[in-house]
Amino acid sequence: MALVSADTKIAELLNELHQLIKQTQEERSRSEHNLLNIQKTHERMQTENKTSPYYRTKLRGLYTTAKADAEAECSILRRALDKIAEIKSLLEERRIAARMAGVYSDTDPPRKTMRRGVLMTLLQQSAMTLPLWIGKPGESPPPLCGAIPANSDYVAKQGDKVAARVKAVDGDEQWILAEVVSYNHSTNKYEVDDIDEEGKERHTLSRRRIIPLPQWKANPETDPEALFSKDQLVLALYPQTTCFYRALIHTPPHRPQDDYSVLFEDTSYADGYSPPLNVAQRYVVACKENKKK
Amino acid sequence: MADPAAQTSAQPRLHPARPGLSQQQWSSQKKAQVRAFPRAKKLEKLGVFSSCKANDSCKCNGWKNPNPPTAARMELQQHAASLTEVCRSCGHSLAEHVSHLENVSEEEINRLLGMVVDVENLFMSVHKEEDTDTKQVYFYLFKLLRKCILQMGKPVVEGSLGSPPFEKPNIEQGVLNFVQYKFSHLASKERQTMYELSKMFLLCLNYWKLETPSQFRQRAQKEDAAAYKVDYTRWLCYCHVPQSNDSLPRYETCQVFGRSLLKSIFTITRRQLLEKFRVEKDKLPPEKRTLILTHFPKFLSMLEEEIYGENSPIWEADFTMPASEGTQLGHQTVLSPVAVSGSPLSKCTSGSALAGSGLDSTSSEPITGEKRKLPEALTLEDAKRIRVMGDIPMELVNEVMKTITDPAAMLGPETSLLSANAARDETARLEERRGIIEFHVIGNSLSQKSNKKILMWLVGLQNVFSHQLPRMPKEYITRLVFDPKHKTLALIKDGRVIGGVCFRMFPTQGFTEIVFCAVTSNEQVKGYGTHLMNHLKEYHIKHGILFFLTYADEYAIGYFKKQGFSKDIKVPKTRYLGYIKDYEGATLMECELNPRIPYTELSHIIKRQKEIIKKLIERKQNQIRKVYPGLTCFKEGVRQIPVESIPGIRETGWKPSAKEKSKELKDPDLLYNMLKNLLAQIKTHPDAWPFMEPVKKSEAPDYYEVIRFPIDLKTMTERLKNRYYVTKKLFIADLQRVITNCREYNPPDSEYCKCANTLEKFFYFKLKEAGLIEK
Repeated sequence: MALVSADTKIAELLNELHQLIKQTQEERSRSEHNLLNIQKTHERMQTENKTSPYYRTKLRGLYTTAKADAEAECSILRRALDKIAEIKSLLEERRIAARMAGVYSDTDPPRKTMRRGVLMTLLQQSAMTLPLWIGKPGESPPPLCGAIPANSDYVAKQGDKVAARVKAVDGDEQWILAEVVSYNHSTNKYEVDDIDEEGKERHTLSRRRIIPLPQWKANPETDPEALFSKDQLVLALYPQTTCFYRALIHTPPHRPQDDYSVLFEDTSYADGYSPPLNVAQRYVVACKENKKK
Repeated sequence: MADPAAQTSAQPRLHPARPGLSQQQWSSQKKAQVRAFPRAKKLEKLGVFSSCKANDSCKCNGWKNPNPPTAARMELQQHAASLTEVCRSCGHSLAEHVSHLENVSEEEINRLLGMVVDVENLFMSVHKEEDTDTKQVYFYLFKLLRKCILQMGKPVVEGSLGSPPFEKPNIEQGVLNFVQYKFSHLASKERQTMYELSKMFLLCLNYWKLETPSQFRQRAQKEDAAAYKVDYTRWLCYCHVPQSNDSLPRYETCQVFGRSLLKSIFTITRRQLLEKFRVEKDKLPPEKRTLILTHFPKFLSMLEEEIYGENSPIWEADFTMPASEGTQLGHQTVLSPVAVSGSPLSKCTSGSALAGSGLDSTSSEPITGEKRKLPEALTLEDAKRIRVMGDIPMELVNEVMKTITDPAAMLGPETSLLSANAARDETARLEERRGIIEFHVIGNSLSQKSNKKILMWLVGLQNVFSHQLPRMPKEYITRLVFDPKHKTLALIKDGRVIGGVCFRMFPTQGFTEIVFCAVTSNEQVKGYGTHLMNHLKEYHIKHGILFFLTYADEYAIGYFKKQGFSKDIKVPKTRYLGYIKDYEGATLMECELNPRIPYTELSHIIKRQKEIIKKLIERKQNQIRKVYPGLTCFKEGVRQIPVESIPGIRETGWKPSAKEKSKELKDPDLLYNMLKNLLAQIKTHPDAWPFMEPVKKSEAPDYYEVIRFPIDLKTMTERLKNRYYVTKKLFIADLQRVITNCREYNPPDSEYCKCANTLEKFFYFKLKEAGLIEK
């Protein structure tokens, strides 16, 4: 039943989102008039070549209105973004619930494991749809936005994706992409699942072996400080795998939808690094240890 | 020339090239004219070709006009020579030459006159023809027709030529198979286009003037030339000359010749055809222009591969079409020859002495009714085939096809998100279609300078292989990738090599060794490996190699298994030992290719098929929806129940599967004895007499034109002896054909059909009795 109600909830939210988008357009056409007025006033001032008190007052009034308009439009857009976030979290909840119940949401007959190629596509999609953080003027990006780490007391929620340092069968330590199952506050340990269903292993790991993945993309145009900078050492998900490896930032993204370009440590290449490869913001985290293994 | 025809031939000479009239039209006009002559005049004309019957010793074989017509007298031709006029050669009267025609019906006289006109034309052809081979054939036909007039017989081309059809399947069938083989997966509109092209191609071929054997000899090998000469002669006698000479039985080139003729003429014909179209493109009707100029060259190239490819399935006698779509084609109305009539093609044959332009609608019809039976029989076969497929009416399949191809009818818009069940190579296929990735077979060459791009790619391949296969020494990889005997199928993305399969073909040994196979690590798990292997498979089918062998290391076994490789090796050891590179600790794996499978499209085709079946199931569920209480018998301790006893299962149309039903006799001897016994019983049945032996042509002259697959009890006995009946299905099919052939040829109330009815009942009874069929 819970699944059904989530469906109707999502339908409602989509409806609201639709309304909000329509409102945005209304707001936009309303402020258009005022902006035009500002432009005309400036032109007139230019031709008269002097700034009379009349114009000054007029302009001040116009700008105040324009600012109010912009803020109104902005708040509607934020509300729309909130709706999207809400829908996504509902979908996520449903996915987790289904996972727990062992029910597959798909109508297709369940497969034992997802084909790896499909898993890779899903990972790419999740990176692409990671929301972009848009702060209010003067607001600085929060933890878990881009390169900004989580607070020391942060506890990742169930279903969150993390980089987890696990001991492989051969004894080697490896950072893998995992999903949080639970956190035990008394032992301070996480239970995580390997994202790769072929592994299908559950690990119990201490806090320091877990690095939560960013929950927002940082906008290089407005918040460049929230991105890793060139030559910084990071852990990045190797393309088409579910493992994080040490890498140097080659170039940070230039636009919100861009990926990092990174150089993976790779001894099979003469200079010890792979050629530049693209990794999305979602899968690049700070590398804690600076010493090489 | 001391030939009686010499003087009559003066007539056509006075009608030099009649503009606007084809040879054929001219000839039929001439015939009509001659047939309208008064009887006396007709007799005079025939007398010229009739032997003198004055006494046994007179050897004169044709009356010669003592007053040879001169040009001035031509107008007076209507004046018949009197019966008393004496022959210039033997001195006997005309009456003595035509005495045998006295009581002959007007109809027969007219038939003979038709031959006279044809003989005259042939005489002209012999005269004008410059090619020796062709001239010889014309002369032979000329003599043949003369003899027929003399003996009042029907012309039959004799000698070592054989009789049509000369090869099976014929060109028409092969080309239609080709369309179904290559294009049946297309949407119906595009498929229709291809079908139109095939029809056009066949039509062109039927009216195409073949190059003479001497022309052929200049560009072909000796042994081919001999075979071509035979085919050319056949074509002249059975197809080309009869187009304008209706005394001779006429056959369509595409129906009596098969692959071997097409092989000899395709290259040159294609060139001429395309050239013709190119030159005359402005005369083409606009709606045909794109069809011909854009699709036709591609169509011909694809066809070329099937004509010259060693393993093309389209020439197999038992080529079965991918059922649903294939048959649909077969049923489509045959295109009118409008596609090519009019300007462009009618000229193909002009300039030849005998050929008519013959593309107007009347002449392009096959002349006799019997020939049309062929295609009809074919569609009948197709119809049968589809019924076997599972009783799904064509309309239903079409309807379902519509819903799955029409995105609007599907649930919601297509998402970019691939479903969890998407085929492994789906993404790769899409990327290739969009041009994001490319596949090229490349290799190094010592004899010619390699182009720079290819060398760069080879270096790229060497890098990919050495990175992905760290256990292989780099030098070793380099040596093989650059070895001219090795080739590599390269996967290119953004101009860079991101993967490839290095292989070595051993055509003499009938297999190819897969040497290296890798995709660069950051491009893995995208289906590229699968798509690479599928491309490699198609490449090999094209080159006639149907086995892959490879030594797979422990990490590669999984990949090769997914690509259809197995550890079961069918290629005999002697064929690969000493050829293939042996790696210690690796597992030898093999993959056998099926030339009928379009590998790069396979998963897509299967997906479509699944969709169709799913839709069909949904429909069925809508029709019969009933919930039965569950089975309780298992709780009561019953271990197993027969499937058919499950309530409701029969209503769904379920039938026990053929496999279970038949439980095919494992022991071939047991089956053999059983069938032998059965056949003996059938042969002794009192109503079996009409079917004991093959139908004699003397008794039913047209039998073999009507019945495509003759069969009789004697032939069946021989087949049984030769162990042809390896399954009972084959046996029953032949038995059934005895009956259906009989019903097809004979009227239902005939004695024969009555026998067939009784015999049919009898043998079905016997089959049941023997447990070979149910119920």
